[in-house]
Amino acid sequence: MKISLNWLKKYVNVPEEISNEELIRLIGARLVEVEGVIDETHKYDNVYVVRVESAEKIPDTHLTLCQINDGGTELIQVVCGAPNVREGMLAVWIKPGAIVPASVHEDAPFVIGKRKMLGKYDSCGMLAGADELDFGGKHDKIAEINPEIAKPGDLLADVFGLNDLILEIENKSLTHRPDTFGIIGFAREVAGILGKKFNEPEFLFKEEVFPEGFLIETKEGLSSVSSNLEIEIKDASICPRYTAAVIKVNEATEEDKYLSEVKILLAKSGMQTVSKIVDVTNYLMLLTGQPLHAFDYDKFLSVGDSGSPKVVVRNAKDGEKIELLDGEQIICNPSDILITANNVPVAMAGAMGGKNTEIDENTKNILLESATFSLYNLRKTQMAHGIFTEAITRFTKGVPAGGTFNVLAEAVREINGKPLELCDKFLNVKPVDAIKITTDEINDLLGTGYDKELIVKTLENVGFMITFVDSKQIIVETPFWRTDTHIKEDIIEEVGRLLGYDNIKPTLPLHATANKNALFTLKSELRDKLSKLGANELLTYSFVSENLLKRANQDLKNSYKIVNSISPELQYVRQSIIPNLLDKTFLNEKLPVEKFAIFEMNKVYQKNWGLDEEAVPIEKIHLGFVVAERKNCETAYYKAKKYINKIFEDYGIEVIYSPLKIKTAETMPFEPKRSAEIRIKAQPDVLIGVVGEFKKSVKNSFKLADYLAGFEIDLETLLANKSHEHKITVTKKEKRDLTVVTEGSYDDVKNKIEKILSDNGVFAKIIPGAIYLPENSTKKHITVHLEFTNYNEDVMQKLENL
Amino acid sequence: MYETVVLQYNIGMQDLQKLKDELKAINGEYAGIRDVPVEERAEFGRKLNEKKQSILAKIAEVEQAAIDEMVEPIDVTAWSGVNELIPEFYSVTAGSKHPLMTELDRVIDIYQMMGFDVIESRQLDDEFHMFDSLNFPKEHPARDGYDTFRTEEGLIPPAHTSTMQHRVLKNFKSNLDEGKAIAVVVPGRVFRNEDVDATHEHTFYQCEGVYVSETCTLGDMLGILREFFEKYYEQKLNIRTQPGYFPFTEPSLEFMIEKPKALGGKKGDFLEMLGCGMIHPNVLKMAGIDPVKYHGFAWGGGIDRLVMLRYGLEDVRNFESGNLNFLREF
Repeated sequence: MKISLNWLKKYVNVPEEISNEELIRLIGARLVEVEGVIDETHKYDNVYVVRVESAEKIPDTHLTLCQINDGGTELIQVVCGAPNVREGMLAVWIKPGAIVPASVHEDAPFVIGKRKMLGKYDSCGMLAGADELDFGGKHDKIAEINPEIAKPGDLLADVFGLNDLILEIENKSLTHRPDTFGIIGFAREVAGILGKKFNEPEFLFKEEVFPEGFLIETKEGLSSVSSNLEIEIKDASICPRYTAAVIKVNEATEEDKYLSEVKILLAKSGMQTVSKIVDVTNYLMLLTGQPLHAFDYDKFLSVGDSGSPKVVVRNAKDGEKIELLDGEQIICNPSDILITANNVPVAMAGAMGGKNTEIDENTKNILLESATFSLYNLRKTQMAHGIFTEAITRFTKGVPAGGTFNVLAEAVREINGKPLELCDKFLNVKPVDAIKITTDEINDLLGTGYDKELIVKTLENVGFMITFVDSKQIIVETPFWRTDTHIKEDIIEEVGRLLGYDNIKPTLPLHATANKNALFTLKSELRDKLSKLGANELLTYSFVSENLLKRANQDLKNSYKIVNSISPELQYVRQSIIPNLLDKTFLNEKLPVEKFAIFEMNKVYQKNWGLDEEAVPIEKIHLGFVVAERKNCETAYYKAKKYINKIFEDYGIEVIYSPLKIKTAETMPFEPKRSAEIRIKAQPDVLIGVVGEFKKSVKNSFKLADYLAGFEIDLETLLANKSHEHKITVTKKEKRDLTVVTEGSYDDVKNKIEKILSDNGVFAKIIPGAIYLPENSTKKHITVHLEFTNYNEDVMQKLENL
Repeated sequence: MYETVVLQYNIGMQDLQKLKDELKAINGEYAGIRDVPVEERAEFGRKLNEKKQSILAKIAEVEQAAIDEMVEPIDVTAWSGVNELIPEFYSVTAGSKHPLMTELDRVIDIYQMMGFDVIESRQLDDEFHMFDSLNFPKEHPARDGYDTFRTEEGLIPPAHTSTMQHRVLKNFKSNLDEGKAIAVVVPGRVFRNEDVDATHEHTFYQCEGVYVSETCTLGDMLGILREFFEKYYEQKLNIRTQPGYFPFTEPSLEFMIEKPKALGGKKGDFLEMLGCGMIHPNVLKMAGIDPVKYHGFAWGGGIDRLVMLRYGLEDVRNFESGNLNFLREF
């Protein structure tokens, strides 16, 4: 939303000592984020009001040779191409050397000069059109100024107050404040921030536009006495209030062609000039936050084909069609709200009017709507059809029902037409919120010491009505435009905000100590360990593609599927970490990085794990690890195993590596013949993870080099089995090497050694050594290094006999 | 890890010839199209193609299985390959920690030092925790599928760590009964359905804070947040606020700090760090905490931004890129 500071200042008196900079800071600190400020204080330098003293057509061209009066002593010659230039008119002249205002913010601003036209006519400066002045509109004529408001030589900026700052407001934090989407509501807040009582514009509370006796009260709202106009609201929850008037429009007047304040304000707020009536409705929306819509009344009658005007507000039928003003054909959803003429759609409520009742130059009478609709329905309409008009932006904040009538009345006055009929249906009248609160409650939550007088004044400044109960308690009644204040905390927010959160002293409460989170500590230690061992920590997305799951040999059906994913790349919740790491391995081998180890610790989800006691999916935290080298013919498995085993060693966890048999989502990419499942030695039924090389088919599908292995372990299992014991032996150790020739596995050898050691009460640490297979032999020579704490020659002998 | 067996459709090698024969037969059937009435030919062709594709897929599967079949087994209990040396770890100089995680660890350390318990946020949650328990009115605009991802089951990868607020309040309520405050921070990964560019990621990290006691005030919230950022940036800081709007806090604020000197900040250069506010009484009530006796405050802000500022990074997409040229810089 764009807010003109000059316009704002018409409604709130800002003391001289508060600079614009300070005012903008205060707005930012106490109302809403100001995203940017557009400085227009020099945009209209050297742009003047002039009188065209003579205008002569240049033969055989569309050009006119003009002599203009800029208030100086000599006339100036300008060549003008616009069809509407004529003797005696007041026009706008851009002096040579000045920048065309519409191009000020462009990369190459257009500087006006003196030049010769058609080789012989000197042309000094330019007579400007509204579009060139950045007031929008078509590039078809020059702007004309009402002689009643200006004279030749006046700076255009002085006539219309154009030396301005435009604030760019971040709408999001005003989601709950529909009242601030109009200059009046915004100004009310600014008054409150400055500690001043806001002067409410009278029209917000009066209805004197209508002749005496024109209106009567009915039980559903106001109505004109002899009214044929009928309004039917099918469901009060989609339309709490609908006010409409039929107005006879005056013929276009001389004045309509002049550049006007309304046209300029619309442009500054980022809106287009359309026609007098539409401009007035838009202007009032910007002023009050209440969107209005004007239908061509005669078209409305003929579309409805019923002779008498009947507005029916209802939900659209599924698939019902309407053509909007912008020519777009809309196929409606049942949550869309339609305004219909005797059930024939004439507008998408809150979004845009229909083509069939558009007002044009022949419009004689209009049906003017001032209403409010369900913000939830309109939010759906907005998203489903991609309609982002200024009106729907306001309606989706929840325009208050209390203001429709008075804004309509003001529109009747601005349009200066004759009201013929009026009808007001107000079905969903909500009681005024009256909130009891004490000064202590306010101060206790904010941490302040504001006295009662200050609190009351602060609230009254922005329209809250206060009744005193006793010395501490007050009752706060909310004005109709505040749809957001219902409970004590809402009032506390008002007080804290308007008086400035930044005036609240930061303090530190005293409280108890905390416990360290063991899992975070573990993760932190692991990232330290692994990075010190030359591995690189990665983060990858939690969402993966169907293709990735398939390449990793995982079952799609075991993944939670995102229904509104950004792309097919991010459609499934990952079941394990490894597939992402394989994907990143490809990327890094391509870079190329010759050799690397990557790991990630993150949460994973599998459908077959089911739900927890809160009925949300069971989650696990895994550590995934992949080691890859572009050129290495050795067995990658042992590299990955070395890394994982280092972790188990450091945490004092004894594990067993046995050939991979089980099939889970985690193990699916692994090659069973070259992988191991890892179990806790003390509790072999507890699986902690898998380590191994990947299936050839998986390697192929990820296009990875042959030297590739990895592991994936469950960190909660690791944490649960972590040992705090740490045996330290300081005795001298006797070291021996032992080689066993066998067809069996390493663990077979190790188990045999352990058996002999324990049978003889000898303790030795077994450290793996080389494994050698002579050519043409099936028997391996497995060497281990033994470190004895109580060496025994006989036992060594027994071992060597193995 | 659960030992649920994933059933997989496997076809033995002996089936390969059979499949190839079937394929041949189908290729033969194409000739029969001449005998089919013209108007049925399209349908005939389509069905035949479907059949052919399914057989081709099965053949591919069998061939894949054959490739895997040829792999030599190894001794998984050993520590090196046959006639190979025991492998070495890579050099410490090659290693790196992810900058986001390093900073998250620092954030957690500071909060723990300040007496906050830490729990991690979920990455898959439900409508109740994400919205209902946080006082989002039914059908509130933020609920519709435009900002939030959803699974087929209606589960939600959370769009903010506030999804944990209700759990924190419920699980730490006993603190209040013992006369202690609830003081918890919740770091975690969150997701937004938005397009990715240099400053936007659909996946990022946030840290939530929740504080409840009998006497805490908005001033305490400002004090705690200032204390945290001063510890994090290791210098005194000026702070500022801005009104905000969240359904689950009232009042709601945006919290800003003056850009630290170490990061090249100038006076008056304020950075929005997080959203915060006094916990809405409905949120306390939902968790079984009496909003008359107790009040609290909560905050939540992005971690990615802290890290980008600290290291002078300009492209948020690097974090999840997995690119070692980037990661090895840390």
